[in-house]
Amino acid sequence: MFRGQRGWFCGSVGQDLRQLWVAEGGTVCDVQAADFLFSCDASHPDTLRIYQSLDYIEDNATVFHAYYLYAVANAEMKTSVALGHFILPPASVQKEIRRKVGGFIWEQDKYFQIEKHDEL
Amino acid sequence: ANDDCSKMLLNRCSGCIAVRKSLNSRNISKLLHSCPHRCDHHKIIVEAEDKYKSEVRKSFICNKKILLTPRRRQLRIES
Ligand SMILES: [Zn+2]
Repeated sequence: MFRGQRGWFCGSVGQDLRQLWVAEGGTVCDVQAADFLFSCDASHPDTLRIYQSLDYIEDNATVFHAYYLYAVANAEMKTSVALGHFILPPASVQKEIRRKVGGFIWEQDKYFQIEKHDEL
Repeated sequence: ANDDCSKMLLNRCSGCIAVRKSLNSRNISKLLHSCPHRCDHHKIIVEAEDKYKSEVRKSFICNKKILLTPRRRQLRIES
């Protein structure tokens, strides 16, 4: 599914999710070279750095919640998982969105088999 | 809460549920901006993110951290 794709992972993403990425053919790389930016925590310094970058403000760097990888792993049709549902906006933006439309799909735990993350 | 979730998915537009192999962190924002039928959820995300972005942009200009000259981005060098 992710063959030839390069992914960057925030420190907030657990090892199991990185492994899912690699198992699907993805490679791990730095922010600049990445096609996909994954995070589990919009307030993590690694992810904050992206929100403060020129790439981000010029619409060239959308961060996705790494639960996208769980969703893909669990989907019968891997390509049927819509990436758009997994956009992870900055924390202040999330607050505003929650106020207006309720939650995000990645907050619905029942869709994801949450395994223990490295809590480091 | 699960009802909310399925409702959330039902009410979303084709731009939001776009499934395209080529979609990634580098182009999805432009897709969402160019999508002609923005659903509510989509509009709210894009608008809220844009507001945030314009604030960051302002702070860049204030701090003179970066010169925001040509909008064209430097090409990323393939490693
Ligand atoms: Zn939409």
